[in-house]
Amino acid sequence: MDRNKLIKWLKSPSKMGHKYSLHAVYFCTGCGIIEVPPSITARWDAERFGVLPAATPRQANLFLITGYVSLKTLKAIIRTYEQMPDPKFTVAFGSCPINGGMYWDSYNTIKHLDKYIPIDGWIAGCMPRPEAIFIAVTHLWQLIDKDMAEGYKKYRQNYKYYRANQELVLGKLSWPPLFPVEENGLKEAAKG
Amino acid sequence: MQFIYFIVSPLLALIIGLFFLGLFRKIMARIQWRYGPPITQPIIDIIRLFSQKSVSHGHLFNLGIVLSLTGSLVVLMFIPFGKMHPLSNSGGLLVIIYLMLLAPLGIALSGGEAANPNISIGISRELILALGYEVPLLLIMLAVMTHYHTISIVRIVALQQESGEALFSLPLVLSGIAYILILPAILGIRPFDIVKAPQEISSGPLVEYGGAYLALAEIQHALTLVIGISLFVNLFLGGAKNVLIFFLKILVVFILGLFINAALPRMRIEQAIKYLWRWPTLIAFIGLIIVVLK
Repeated sequence: MDRNKLIKWLKSPSKMGHKYSLHAVYFCTGCGIIEVPPSITARWDAERFGVLPAATPRQANLFLITGYVSLKTLKAIIRTYEQMPDPKFTVAFGSCPINGGMYWDSYNTIKHLDKYIPIDGWIAGCMPRPEAIFIAVTHLWQLIDKDMAEGYKKYRQNYKYYRANQELVLGKLSWPPLFPVEENGLKEAAKG
Repeated sequence: MQFIYFIVSPLLALIIGLFFLGLFRKIMARIQWRYGPPITQPIIDIIRLFSQKSVSHGHLFNLGIVLSLTGSLVVLMFIPFGKMHPLSNSGGLLVIIYLMLLAPLGIALSGGEAANPNISIGISRELILALGYEVPLLLIMLAVMTHYHTISIVRIVALQQESGEALFSLPLVLSGIAYILILPAILGIRPFDIVKAPQEISSGPLVEYGGAYLALAEIQHALTLVIGISLFVNLFLGGAKNVLIFFLKILVVFILGLFINAALPRMRIEQAIKYLWRWPTLIAFIGLIIVVLK
């Protein structure tokens, strides 16, 4: 842990700040949320890494998606993700957001979450142990150090693609686009 | 020389406040058998928040939080830190009573601009709670001012250093106890953390705050801790001759408050009002009557 290295702090304070102050959106998306209470309380204590559940998306910069994503939850996930201020990091927890997991042929869960919002890291397993969250956090630190956790920039660049995929499963979205897109571009993006 | 204090006094309060926030999280973690974050964690959080993009909800949203922070900084000018008191010769306690209301009012104005239902609940709770503790606080300050025949806080500190701390001398002991009873409400810690209840109303007035706004709100919270405790130390524990002893005194009071925070659950707003207007007000009123009749 290089939290105490002064030179690194002076070189890029914002990067170090983001590394050691990851406030997670406390948003229960699936069964994986059952692993979060033990990891933030006395048994595994995530606060020593600077990870803390934030009360609202506006105050957060880490989005843990815990477990399967149904269509209804996807809508809430997209809105929550768009409300979070930049820079923001997403970690998908469990095997369901990776490829559908045990819900792979279900009629109303989605299979690949990274088609709808950008994901910076994955934790495989069903269920992953709480220790896996800490391993993911340390991996996320390395990614932030190397400027590789830039999903929020990807979301802005490829917003047309993401929006088209969102509209493909959810129908017409009731909220306006986060970044400007042309209307007829969406269908082409969904095909390609 | 007096001029430097205008810069040093708020800066010192800011450092002490951030240290208190770090200590708060560390000691709470140790009480709950956790390892806890490093003591610099609030500073790391604030650096992170300042580097994060933030969303504004209008001009009043920006100005309100600045008003709140300014209110806290101005109050600090009137409160003596040991021998440091840039403005405490003028105005005294009456000015402090008025200026202490600026901080909740600024947050209320700022939050009102962002139309979130949680904010309205949080603001109404904040103002009701302020109403709750202002009544006993006014009675306590009236008792202190009557007993020492002065409104100047510097004079009160000097008189206490001559004749012993007010908390341990006879006529003011009841007022001191009443102040201890309302101190958690002034600081907004656990039995009275109704305003920013994160699990109930998702941090109340701060719901729409992100990035730099939340950082300013955090700094304001740190200053509030210092103001509430140092007012108590000046009025009832006799202030201090130098800054170090003053710091030790507010540290002791803060850690005692922390244990209360760790031991008690959160009250509902009507329970808080019922409590604040019954026991502290009653004790403060009896204390005032004793002081007046003496």
